[in-house]
Amino acid sequence: MMSDQQIIEGCAKHERKAQQLLYDKYSRFLLGVCLRYATDRSEAEDILQESFLKIFFNIKDFSGTGSFIGWLRKVAVNTAITHYHKNLKFRYHIEIEEFVSVETGTLSFEEDFFTSDELFRVLNELPPGYRMVFNLYAVEGYKHKEIAEMLGIDTNTSKSQYSRAKAAIREKLDRLRTIKRTYSAGTDDKRI
Amino acid sequence: MLSDLFRQKLENAEISPSPALGSKLMHRVGRREFLRFNPSRFNIWYAGAAVAAAAALTAALLHSPEVSEDQNHQPKPLEISSPADLTSESSGTSIAEPGKGKPEPRKQPEVNKAAIPGRETSSTGGAGAGTAKPATTGETGKVSILPTAGIIREPDDANSKLKNNKPLAYIEASAEEGCAPLIISFRSPASENDSCAWHFGDEGRSAARNPVWTFNNEGEHRVTLEVYGPGGRSAASLTITVHPRPTARFEKADEDTEQAVEYISFRNFSDGAEKYRWSFGDGTGSDLFEPRHRYNKPGNYDVRLIAVSPEGCTDTVTTINVASSPGYHITFPNAFTPNLTGPSGGYYSRASDEASRIFHPVHNGVTEFHLTIFSKMGIMVFESNDINYGWDGYYKGQLCDPGVYVWKVRGKFINSDEFNKIGDVTLLNN
Repeated sequence: MMSDQQIIEGCAKHERKAQQLLYDKYSRFLLGVCLRYATDRSEAEDILQESFLKIFFNIKDFSGTGSFIGWLRKVAVNTAITHYHKNLKFRYHIEIEEFVSVETGTLSFEEDFFTSDELFRVLNELPPGYRMVFNLYAVEGYKHKEIAEMLGIDTNTSKSQYSRAKAAIREKLDRLRTIKRTYSAGTDDKRI
Repeated sequence: MLSDLFRQKLENAEISPSPALGSKLMHRVGRREFLRFNPSRFNIWYAGAAVAAAAALTAALLHSPEVSEDQNHQPKPLEISSPADLTSESSGTSIAEPGKGKPEPRKQPEVNKAAIPGRETSSTGGAGAGTAKPATTGETGKVSILPTAGIIREPDDANSKLKNNKPLAYIEASAEEGCAPLIISFRSPASENDSCAWHFGDEGRSAARNPVWTFNNEGEHRVTLEVYGPGGRSAASLTITVHPRPTARFEKADEDTEQAVEYISFRNFSDGAEKYRWSFGDGTGSDLFEPRHRYNKPGNYDVRLIAVSPEGCTDTVTTINVASSPGYHITFPNAFTPNLTGPSGGYYSRASDEASRIFHPVHNGVTEFHLTIFSKMGIMVFESNDINYGWDGYYKGQLCDPGVYVWKVRGKFINSDEFNKIGDVTLLNN
């Protein structure tokens, strides 16, 4: 097994073997990142492919100082943002029901109650704009100001999108919880 | 917290990609690698170099009689090697007096000049008696030997390459790759007596000797040339790579209520590009995907976007007069909810007014402004000459009744267009 360092060096020389190793080692993790930003699995895999192309051809840009996995994640996130912008024209509208959804109080969410599959699905169902902001802010930990720059929107838009995204997610999780409670006695059916 | 839940569960979540994805990706990587310059691997540059080398070699072998002396690529190799040219006069003079005879002033100087170094070459090559007579250079003087030798020895020397009667075919192209539509001029070594058949790999064909062809479709095109001459048929081919051209397209974003109105945002709808160069028409530019720009002076600005594809192909689109009158506007909401706990003043900023406690327009480029608001009874409940001063829903310190109010506005934009509008607004109370 090659170390990360060897893989990076190999990739910098465009060795096919190192590229394959890099793919084998990190594709699962990066697909997890991409899936958070996508509407479905196939879109996520498109983003993943683009990300790997960028990684393979720009690996020289990786300074070697920060964490490699962090750099990979950043490339994937940036690719997802580019992808989002590209497809923006098809998605300009916001569903009116999404727009008026209200916060439904602050419920605490038991961490083990939802599987990560379910959380992924909740994210996938969000309107793309909400999903971008929520991911960047809540999971990736960017500031609203940075998000606004990345997405080319206003800081306030980022903030309001985030709070609306949270409300929408809460609502979905609530619904999911009710369903799960109802079904948890007998079946494994976890569909929303 | 919600964000903690997602971060903890999903930040490092792993999902297995579908099995085909890896090979699909490697295939794409391979294709890109092929186009990229990399000294340590076979790629298009090597392929190109190999083709060029092969072409050069062919040319050298068949052409050498002239190329060696005549740097100008005189494209008439057939005249020398074809039997028609083996006239008794020319061969006779060359044998008899190498370097002196002058029966044909047009051809002879070449022949003479060539003959002298030719003898020297063959002698150093080990033929021994070469210096005495060009005719004895025989077996050793192959390619390096010159027209005279070649012509004379034609009948004896069965395996000499110079004996080849076939026409010569190779392709010279003005470029081997580029952006669609790619215009390439081709050259062939065919002479007037030969007929050429070009196929350009995209259904296109030509019978010209030196055609010019436009490749509109992206991809790799295999260009083939067949030359039919009196001595037979030859063929050559060359691959032309046409890169797709990106499409540059952008629109000015509609200002929404939350955007700063003095900025113009651009939405980028370009396709197939990875880099972008904007120029905003006021001497500034940007490399961002979707920039925002603020003009210091009102005016007519032309915004240009150049989209650059990974292969370096570009597409340009220009929007004339981006900030012109469609950008100047004033619109009012049709409902608002005043602050119930007391008058809020009426001055608003974007940050403080997110909940629309104040009735005010969304606007751009307004210089003069006069707003009046009337109740159903016809009482003027509000008047403002300041666009940054809106109605907070109070009249003389009292919260107005919920219901419909009529507003009237007039004023001017920066470009001195006037506006004059009337509308109604519903005051909500909850």
